[in-house]
Amino acid sequence: MPLETADKLFSQIPTVEGMRSQLVERTKGDKYIWGIVILLALISVLVVYSATGSLAYKMNKGNNEVYLFKQLAFMLVGMFIIYFLHRVNYTLYSRVATILFFISIPLLIYTLFFGAKINEGSRWIRLPIINMTFQTSDFAKLALFMYLSRVLSKKQEVIKDFKKGFIPAVIPVFIVCILIMPANLSNALLTGATSLLLMFIGRVSLKHIFLVILIAMIPLALIVSVAVVTYDKKKTNTTEQTETTHSFGRFRTWVKRVQDFVYAKDKETPYQVQQAKIAIANGGILMGLGPGNSRQRNYLPQAYNDFIYSIIIEEYGLLGGAFIIIIYLLFLFRCIRIFRRCPYAFGAFLALALSFTLVIQAVANMAVNVNIVPVTGVTLPLVSMGGSSFLFTCGAIGIILSVARNVEQAEGDDIITINKAESIVA
Amino acid sequence: MDVKRDILWRVYLSYIAVVLVCIGIMSKAFYIQQVQGKHWKSLQDSLHQKIDIVEAERGTIYSEDGQMLSTSIPQFDIYIDFGAEGLREKNGKRFKDNLDSLSSNLSELFKDHSTAEYKKILQEGYKNEERYYLLQKNISYKQYQELKRFPLVRLGKNKSGFIADDKNIRLNPYNLLAYRTIGLDRANAQKIGLELTYNSVLKGKEGNRLVRYIAGGVSVPIEGGIETEAENGKDIVTTIDVFIQEVTENALMKMMIGNDAEHGCAIVMETKTGKIKAMANLGKRGDGNYWEDYNYAINPTEPGSTFKLATIISLLEDKKIKLNDIVNLEFGKWNINGQTVFDSEPHGAEDNVVTAKRAFEISSNVGMAKLVYSNYSNNPNQFIRRLHQLHLDSVTGIDLVGERNSVIYKPGTKYWSATTLPWMAFGYNIEITPLQTITLYNAIANNGKMMKPYLVKSIKEQNEIVDAIDPKSIDDKICSDATLKQVKECLEGVCSEGTARFVFKSSMYKVAGKTGTALVANGSRGYTDEIYQASFAGYFPADDPQYTCLVVIKNKPHALKRHGADVAAPVFKEIADRLYARYVRDSKFTTASEIKKDSSYFSYAGLKEDVKAVMKKVKLNYKDSTALIDDWTIVNGNSSGITMTNKITNSNTMPVLKGMGLKDAVYLCESMGLKLNVKGKGRVANQSIAAGQAISKGQQINIELN
Repeated sequence: MPLETADKLFSQIPTVEGMRSQLVERTKGDKYIWGIVILLALISVLVVYSATGSLAYKMNKGNNEVYLFKQLAFMLVGMFIIYFLHRVNYTLYSRVATILFFISIPLLIYTLFFGAKINEGSRWIRLPIINMTFQTSDFAKLALFMYLSRVLSKKQEVIKDFKKGFIPAVIPVFIVCILIMPANLSNALLTGATSLLLMFIGRVSLKHIFLVILIAMIPLALIVSVAVVTYDKKKTNTTEQTETTHSFGRFRTWVKRVQDFVYAKDKETPYQVQQAKIAIANGGILMGLGPGNSRQRNYLPQAYNDFIYSIIIEEYGLLGGAFIIIIYLLFLFRCIRIFRRCPYAFGAFLALALSFTLVIQAVANMAVNVNIVPVTGVTLPLVSMGGSSFLFTCGAIGIILSVARNVEQAEGDDIITINKAESIVA
Repeated sequence: MDVKRDILWRVYLSYIAVVLVCIGIMSKAFYIQQVQGKHWKSLQDSLHQKIDIVEAERGTIYSEDGQMLSTSIPQFDIYIDFGAEGLREKNGKRFKDNLDSLSSNLSELFKDHSTAEYKKILQEGYKNEERYYLLQKNISYKQYQELKRFPLVRLGKNKSGFIADDKNIRLNPYNLLAYRTIGLDRANAQKIGLELTYNSVLKGKEGNRLVRYIAGGVSVPIEGGIETEAENGKDIVTTIDVFIQEVTENALMKMMIGNDAEHGCAIVMETKTGKIKAMANLGKRGDGNYWEDYNYAINPTEPGSTFKLATIISLLEDKKIKLNDIVNLEFGKWNINGQTVFDSEPHGAEDNVVTAKRAFEISSNVGMAKLVYSNYSNNPNQFIRRLHQLHLDSVTGIDLVGERNSVIYKPGTKYWSATTLPWMAFGYNIEITPLQTITLYNAIANNGKMMKPYLVKSIKEQNEIVDAIDPKSIDDKICSDATLKQVKECLEGVCSEGTARFVFKSSMYKVAGKTGTALVANGSRGYTDEIYQASFAGYFPADDPQYTCLVVIKNKPHALKRHGADVAAPVFKEIADRLYARYVRDSKFTTASEIKKDSSYFSYAGLKEDVKAVMKKVKLNYKDSTALIDDWTIVNGNSSGITMTNKITNSNTMPVLKGMGLKDAVYLCESMGLKLNVKGKGRVANQSIAAGQAISKGQQINIELN
């Protein structure tokens, strides 16, 4: 079969049109999702090009074409990843999930101790040959959600059982969260919350889920209480406060952020939040300042990354902001449709898990931008300036599309019930 | 199916939750934008917009002859931000790569540290990650330009961390010259002198503009924002002449160093206009050097005998005495009202019973005291009124902030005692400023017309005169012509037969003036320290006064040389000699030489070899009458023929520079150790040191080319 395909391919190369038609022909999966991905990518190019103005000024003497081409390159690579992964039969990912998950654990441990420090937390490791930093947690998350889909689909029959169903599902989540936490608490919380949502969808007993929430509340309550207590102290003695919390390392940052958020009213709003709000205020309801006219990109740190949503509202107005949200919701809706049509439990869960994760991340980013939740370092999937997270997002989409492609192929075949599907996957 | 349905409602529930959160996000965004919008927008402006001050360039102070006396020049402070991203990236690769070459360049440029020391300084700063390390202060524009070409530095601020802080500072190119009069424009202290008086003219008007700060601390002007252009300060042209000031300052300095004096001042005034041509003020500093530290010229002291001019005018004008009235000098010691008047300047026994004129010439305190006492004691107010008519009780009104007024006691006040009047007669119990004294002397020189002294003659804007200040008279006639004639006689007598006769005996021109030797009180120690203030005031040439000059020197305690004739008069003479030679005599000569001008006449001077080569080239025949030993030659010629003669150069006397090209003149002068000041272009027309005059190494010579 490979030889045959190669021959076929070879014979069709001369005509570009033929190639294109073949590429289109071979591009399967949900057309809406493809459209959404391309749309978001295009928006990304526009906004990133505009938002990197000050970064370009700082690093490249105002030459922000560098970032435009970088972003375009990322897009090309990303599209290739999506295309490649969607051609793979998704059942393969069941096995791959296990492997990836077991790779991710030592990787996280390595990052924790030897990772490159960017903004204090050691979240990154540098890939030796291509000299690119990537956030191991992005990799670990993708691996975790794939793995979780596998576990949930396999354990459906015993899912209500604490020992047989709950424990196998919660243990990997716990390990990953604990390993991400020291460097990136918010990401750990987000991962944990998303996992719980997936478990809820995966019919894990609500009793068990609440138990997890209860246990997770303990350290959270600790941070919040420390934040509250030391904040009062701070008013009387600032130096002592900084010294005592210093030994906790990252702990101090968390406390600070909680303080910033909780006490935003009687204290000056943190700079980023202030600037993000100014950006939002600059855009109107229907019309923003127009493409490339952002003013706040000059002052807003990470305008091209964590705070890109503010810039979108500034340049394209509330309507533009709403449009982005609708795109994500549409994406999620299409993925649910795949889930509904997917005859096999693993595929169904995979589509759900990856799409929910992606959308939740997007929602989290937007919530940070409008200051509903404290500042956390999450990117807006597919829109924020490239980097490893962009590629991992593309990976996730590729996998979703792989499921969609298989569903499409299976369309017309007998609808097999999930119960039956389980036995096939197992 | 059951399982799938179970999952499906969970999925939809989750979906709805996500939608709700999204609605929350949009609502919050709406709230921020529509409800709080104004607040945030106004915050944006206050955070990033600022009204920037555009500094106005301060005007320059020029001397009358167009030299810059005080001007603004840019200077730079160099800081290094060792935390600059570009510097530290890749583990400081850029820093380490350039460290050695940069250190050696810095050492070469600033010469204050060795290469190794600079290397250490830079490494230290890098290690401590100092964000604002001061490397050099007050470097010049030229140094800055050079610095910018250095390795690392040339990569720019972001990569090198080098930050230049520019500022304008005031520079006095002539340094000490009239330093106090020109004044200071200091950043953190009170301005003084002309810088203060004319501050409003010089400073211009600051402009401002609305700017927006963008990343990197760069400000961008906002179009359509408020903007007012900076108005640069205007220039002022003073009456001060660099040459005269230099002569004055040097003469004063020489005497003060020689006599180890405490402080002194010398003023030169143009008789007809009241222009201050020079104003030198020197005071001894802690380290024994002299510096323009205080404007002594505008602060009152007991004047001593120079005040006798006012006394004699008063006596004559009130017709109390005639010049040949006889007065008994009591051998220089006269008891009056329980106190004793001493003559401070010695005179022989043959000068015991003398005329009033003679008493003035030999500066007898007793004589003056007796004349005033006998004529005014019943009506001292008449004397005081006369001083008022001479304008000694009011400031001269010179355009210099800080001029203080005289102190003249009035009869009937608590300061007035029985001895006040006789003591006033010879310049005690009264305080007047040197400037008031010279203004009075100048009025006599100017035939009774008292001119207001002034320092600024015009205000210029971009080389256009916007305000010309004309001479003003304070009083067109301070005394009758009869009195004037007699007073002039007295002043000339001082220099020909009186206390200053030794000083001016060989003078080529007539000088009129008065010496002064005043014992001054040293604070609470009174007069016991024998501190004498020597002074000389006068004008020259006496028959057609051009300049009036005053020299006041306060000696150290128990100084050997203390008399006005010994300390102040020689300074006066030196100044007068130089000014006479340059302005007074020369002006007569030039008018004479202009008459007999031969248009075919030419005269060139130069190195003999060069001149010969030129002559050969242009095929001119000439008569060579040079000796073989000399390198320099003069070619003189007119329609009748050309001769080449020896040009005498001798390392001790000034050669004739006239006719030489600039290159030759510079070479010759510098080889003789002279410092050359050049004005104009072409060939040498005038030289400030006359040919044949003795010269010394390091002496300054001004040449004019045409």
